[in-house]
Amino acid sequence: MYNAPQPKLEDLPTNAQLRRATVIAVIGAAAIGVMVYLPAEYGIDPTGVGSVLGLTEMGEIKQQLEAEAEADRLLHGDDASSSLMDSVFGLFVSAAHAQEAWTDELTFTLEPGASTEVKATMEAGATLTYAWVATGGRVNFDLHAHAGSEAVTYEKGRGQTSGEGSFETPFAGDHGWFWRNRDDQPITVTLQLRGDYSGIVWSD
Amino acid sequence: MTINRFDGSARVSHAIRDVLIPTGGALAMLVAFAATAHAHDVTPGDAGYIQEIFGVHIIPFIYLGAKHMITGYDHILFLLGVVFFLYHMRDVAIYVTLFAVGHSVTMLLGVWFGWGINAYIIDAIIGLSVVYKALDNLGAFQRWFGFQPDTKVATLVFGLFHGTGLASKILEYQIAEDGLLANLLAFNVGVELGQLLALFVILIVMGYWRRSPNFVRQASFANIIMVFLGVLLTYQQIAGYIANT
Repeated sequence: MYNAPQPKLEDLPTNAQLRRATVIAVIGAAAIGVMVYLPAEYGIDPTGVGSVLGLTEMGEIKQQLEAEAEADRLLHGDDASSSLMDSVFGLFVSAAHAQEAWTDELTFTLEPGASTEVKATMEAGATLTYAWVATGGRVNFDLHAHAGSEAVTYEKGRGQTSGEGSFETPFAGDHGWFWRNRDDQPITVTLQLRGDYSGIVWSD
Repeated sequence: MTINRFDGSARVSHAIRDVLIPTGGALAMLVAFAATAHAHDVTPGDAGYIQEIFGVHIIPFIYLGAKHMITGYDHILFLLGVVFFLYHMRDVAIYVTLFAVGHSVTMLLGVWFGWGINAYIIDAIIGLSVVYKALDNLGAFQRWFGFQPDTKVATLVFGLFHGTGLASKILEYQIAEDGLLANLLAFNVGVELGQLLALFVILIVMGYWRRSPNFVRQASFANIIMVFLGVLLTYQQIAGYIANT
């Protein structure tokens, strides 16, 4: 062109070389598609290579998150209208009093990949104090709440073995944790609570 | 999914549960289960996966880096511009290495030190890099200014910008602190691997094209299209910036 020399035919790859490269590229693309792309995106691993490389796990997690996001959309739509259902029916009621001692202690075990939610039903402006310990591995959590169009995330963490603190609710509803085990051993979590809540909602 | 239960230690709730269950509490439980399941903030896809994991995951991060490069049409377009008139493998290797050094430096430093640059601005600059390279290929700078800017320096400098763009994307992924450096290096290896795979295909297509007698005439046309695509990318990013700030 203007800032480069014209290509001379003898400088360029021959047709035979290009054909060979094309064949290699097509075979390579097919191999990557089956051995890498399918496991990493869909958790489908016909050759077993994806599992050896640790890519099948990625695909499985992506599919799981995709399904959960879809369930979220179906459940809440855009206006998260199911919060009324939560507050009406979410009644694992416990008579809690804010004192120095813990009022509730909950223990649960999560297999690898499993998740659960523990939430406290609270009024606006109420305070919850908590402490938790995970044994057997490290756990991911998302301490949050949403009701109607309101949502709040107090804290997120991953690969943690303990946590403690307190939070004050900006709105009424169920406030608490989504827990997930992304470690490779079963994890037992013990959660202690005290504060101004009227009940504990437990879902899996 | 497995069902996880109380192991009986939620002492306070027992009394009221005893009342609720005979009065249809079981039904209420079912509804509560359904209504609160998965009601946290779910991020699907690659970002969701990265936000779930911690610790060192070399191969998954190599995969994600390669995928990011192969699906990043702005990087691919710039790469195409760089190798458009490089006929010898030695030149291809030099320029691609310069680009790789440039984007590796800013990508690693950017993530490590958390340089958060607005993604629209950096992507607009990356769009301009495509415009620049295509104009350079057309000899526009020689015609307009009677001067040819150093193509190697330009490749390195634009590599630095592309790396800053990569860093901004990775920061959005929120990689865990646990294993960050190893995962980041793996991601960078993946970016280079993806670049080589893309380059392999580009060079095959260019190889066939260069052998055709019409190549030189079509080449200026192709670079004009590339200027247009670069302007389009830049325009989209500026419009996005204005709409979102």
